[in-house]
Amino acid sequence: MSDPGQNYAAFNSSALLDFVGDVTDESLKATRLKQFLSVLAGRFFNWAGRKSLFTLHLGIKCCAIEMAASAIPRFDAERFGVIFRSSPRQSDVLLVNGPVSKKFADPIVRLWEQMPEPKYCIAMGECAISGGPYFQSYNILEGVDTVIPVDVYIPGCPPRPEALIDGFGLLREKIIRIGGAPDAGRAGEKPLIVGED
Amino acid sequence: MGMSISAEQNAAAVAAAVTASEEAWSALGVVAEAVNHSAGHGFAFLRLTVPAPHVLTVAKGLKHDMGVNYCSMVTGTHFPEGDEHRGWEVAYHLQRMPVINPDPNTSHVLVAGDLSGMSMPIEIEMLVPLPQGDDPRVPSVQSVWRGADWNEKETWDLVGIKFDGHENMFRVLNPHDSPEGFHPLQKQHKIRYHDFNEMYDDAQGFVRKPVDEGRVK
Amino acid sequence: MAKMWITMGPQHPMTHGLWTLRVQVDGETVVDAEAELGYIHRGVEKIAEARDFTQVTPYCDRLCYVSAMTWSNSYIYAAEDLLEVEVPERAEYIRCISAECQRIASHLMWLGAYGPDVGNLTIMTWALREREMFLDLLQELGGSRMHYNYPRIGGVKRDIPPGWADRLIAKVKLFEKRIDEYEMLLDESTIFLVRLQGVGYATAENMVESGVSGPNVRASGVNYDVRWSHPYSVYDQLDWEPAVEKPTSVKGSDCYDRYRVRMEEMRMSCRMILDAIEKIPGGKNTTYSNGDEMIIAKAPTRAPAGATGFSNYECTRGASQFYVHGGGEGRGKNPYRLSIRSPMFITIPFVAETMIGYKVADIPAIMGSFDPCIGETDR
Repeated sequence: MSDPGQNYAAFNSSALLDFVGDVTDESLKATRLKQFLSVLAGRFFNWAGRKSLFTLHLGIKCCAIEMAASAIPRFDAERFGVIFRSSPRQSDVLLVNGPVSKKFADPIVRLWEQMPEPKYCIAMGECAISGGPYFQSYNILEGVDTVIPVDVYIPGCPPRPEALIDGFGLLREKIIRIGGAPDAGRAGEKPLIVGED
Repeated sequence: MGMSISAEQNAAAVAAAVTASEEAWSALGVVAEAVNHSAGHGFAFLRLTVPAPHVLTVAKGLKHDMGVNYCSMVTGTHFPEGDEHRGWEVAYHLQRMPVINPDPNTSHVLVAGDLSGMSMPIEIEMLVPLPQGDDPRVPSVQSVWRGADWNEKETWDLVGIKFDGHENMFRVLNPHDSPEGFHPLQKQHKIRYHDFNEMYDDAQGFVRKPVDEGRVK
Repeated sequence: MAKMWITMGPQHPMTHGLWTLRVQVDGETVVDAEAELGYIHRGVEKIAEARDFTQVTPYCDRLCYVSAMTWSNSYIYAAEDLLEVEVPERAEYIRCISAECQRIASHLMWLGAYGPDVGNLTIMTWALREREMFLDLLQELGGSRMHYNYPRIGGVKRDIPPGWADRLIAKVKLFEKRIDEYEMLLDESTIFLVRLQGVGYATAENMVESGVSGPNVRASGVNYDVRWSHPYSVYDQLDWEPAVEKPTSVKGSDCYDRYRVRMEEMRMSCRMILDAIEKIPGGKNTTYSNGDEMIIAKAPTRAPAGATGFSNYECTRGASQFYVHGGGEGRGKNPYRLSIRSPMFITIPFVAETMIGYKVADIPAIMGSFDPCIGETDR
C-alpha cells in the first residue's frame, strides 16, 4: 500500500538526527547524548502531533452531522486541537462517519493512501464499524476495516459529540504508545473502542 | 383554518378527472377510477390502469389536456408469483400542480377556496401491468415530463424494467461496474444473511466473516 | 479558451454530502455540469422487504438524517394508509409539533452549512447553537439527538413529558428573536448579498416540470405546499400560510430568494408550533402513559397482498412520497415493496443544470441554496 522509505512526516526523531549529520553522530554516541536527544525529540514531536490532530473534511452520512456538531461552541472539539482540513495531504486522521458503499470503497482507499504518515483512522458510528443497520445491504461493505486499518471504534448511531471527543482522547493515548512510526507500532495493537471499560 | 383544500373540492376535482379520462381513453382499455386514501383525511386520487402500449398516448393526454405537469415517482415492482399479465408493474405517481410563473416582484398566491376545475391540484396514480417474463419493457415518458428522466433511470437500475425510447440510460445508484443484468430489487436476489437463524445464533457477528474483506487492495 | 472538466469529487467540503459534481468550464464560466450520485446507496428499499412495518421506521429516520422526524412521519402515513389505521388527534398534534421543530432544526443546519460556503463562518456557530435547543426538545421526545424512531403506526411512541410544553414555548419565543439576529448578520453583509443576488435563477414552471417542489418552488413566487393541497395531520386546523418569496426577475428566483424563503419558513414554523401547543387535545401539561388510546391506536400488523398505501408529505426539502405494497414475507408482516420518492434525487440534476452560465465561484452558492441532503437522494 504505502511506500516504505519516503516518510513525509518531519516529526520523526531519526530524520532530525540525519539532519544533524554523521560527525555529530559519532560524538553524540560517545557521550550518550544521542539517546537523550532522540528520546526528547521523539517525545516533543509526539506531543505536537497528538495535540493537533487534523481531521479530513469527509462527511459520509448522519455521523457527519454529529462530527459537525462536535465543532460548535457547545461541544467544541477545536479546543483539543481537532481542526478539519479539506485536503487529505494535510490531514492526520481519517474519520469515517458513515457506511462505505462499493462505489465509495475505491475513493476512500485512495484518500487513505494520499494521507501522509503518521496517519490514523477512526471508525465512527455503527455503519463504519460493521455496516450498521445496512449490514444486509447488497451495496454496503461490512465495516470500513475491510479496506482500511482502523485504530479507534466509536459505537453509536449516531454517537454523541461527547463520544467523538472521547474517541479522539483514546486515539491520543494510543499515539503516546505507538509514537511517530505508526505502521511499525500498529501491528500488535488491540483496536480501541469507546466505552469499552 | 380555511386555507386548505376541502374534501368536497378534492372529490369533485377527481370525479371530473375520472370523467375526462373515461371519455378520452376508455376505448384503449384504460380503466379510470377515483380511489380514496384509507387513512388521514381520506382524500381521493385518480387511479388509471393503462395497458403498456398506450402509455405514451395517455401520458401526453394527461400533460396537455389535463394539465398534469409534475411527475414525482416511477416505481417498478416484480411479481414473480403474480398473474400471467401482471408479472411486473410500473406505477407512475403524478400530480397536477397549479403553478404558473408570476411576474417579477409579485407572487402568485393560490387561495384554496377559489380553486376549481383545471387549477385544482390532484394526485394521479398510473399503473402499467406488464406480462410475466424476463424482458419487461414500457415506453418511456422522458419526452413528456422532465421529472421522469432520473426516476426512470433509477427504476431500470434497481428493478430492471427497460424504458423504450429513453435517451442516455445509465446506472444512477448502483456502481457503474455492476454486472450486466444485476438489478437488485428483483425477487430472486436475496439480501445478505437472509437466513435469520444465523443472525440470532450469532448476533454480534463474531463467527461470520465479512464477504468484502480485502476487496480493494 | 480551452474547456476542461473539473471534478468536485465525493470528498469535498462544500458539496453538503457525498456526490460528485463535474463541471465543464471555459475559463471561469461553467458551460456544462453533471452530477453523479450513488456513493451512499444503501438499498433501503431492499432491506425493508425483510423487516416488519414497525422495524422500517428507523431506516426512514436515516434517509434524510438532517430532518429525520419528517421522514419517519412520512413513512408512517403511508403505512397507516396501507393498514387502514385511524390516528387519535392528540397524536396528530404531537406529530405536527415535532415535525415543525424538526423543520426549524433542519433549516438551521442548512443555514449553518450555507454561511461557510459563501464565506460567513459566524452564522455556523450561531445557527448550530440554536439547533441544539431544538435537538434537546426532540431528544426528550425521542431519546436521541438525531434519529428518534418516534412515530408509530397508529400514533406516537410516548407522550410529551411534563414541562415540555413550557420549555418548547420559551425556546420558540427566544428563537424568534434570534432569527432577527441572523438577518441582521446576513442581510446587512455586502459580501453575502453580492454572492447570492443575481445568481442561480430558476423559474417556478421550470422547476415543477423537472420535478422540484418545496421551498425551492415557493421561492419563485407560488405558494404551493402539500400541507394545504393534500392536507394531512392537523395543518388544516392551524393558523398558518406557506412562506413565499417574490422572484426578482423574469428569469425566476435567485439564491437570495431561496435563502429568504427558508428564513420565513422558520418564522412560520414557530407560529405553527405556538398555535398547535395551545390547541392540543388533552392539554399541554398532561402526560398520558405509553400505549394510552389518546396517543396511539391499535393497528394491525399484517397487510394483504394487493393492498397499497401512499403518502404525500411536505418534507423539509420538498414533497416526499412513500408507496408501500402489502403482502410481503412473513405472511404479510413485511412490506412487499417499499418505494421512496426523494425530492433531492430529482433536484440535484436540476441544480447541475442551473449552474450553467455562471462562474465557478458561484457554484457553492447555487448548490447550497437548494439545500441538498444526499442521504435521501441515495436511499
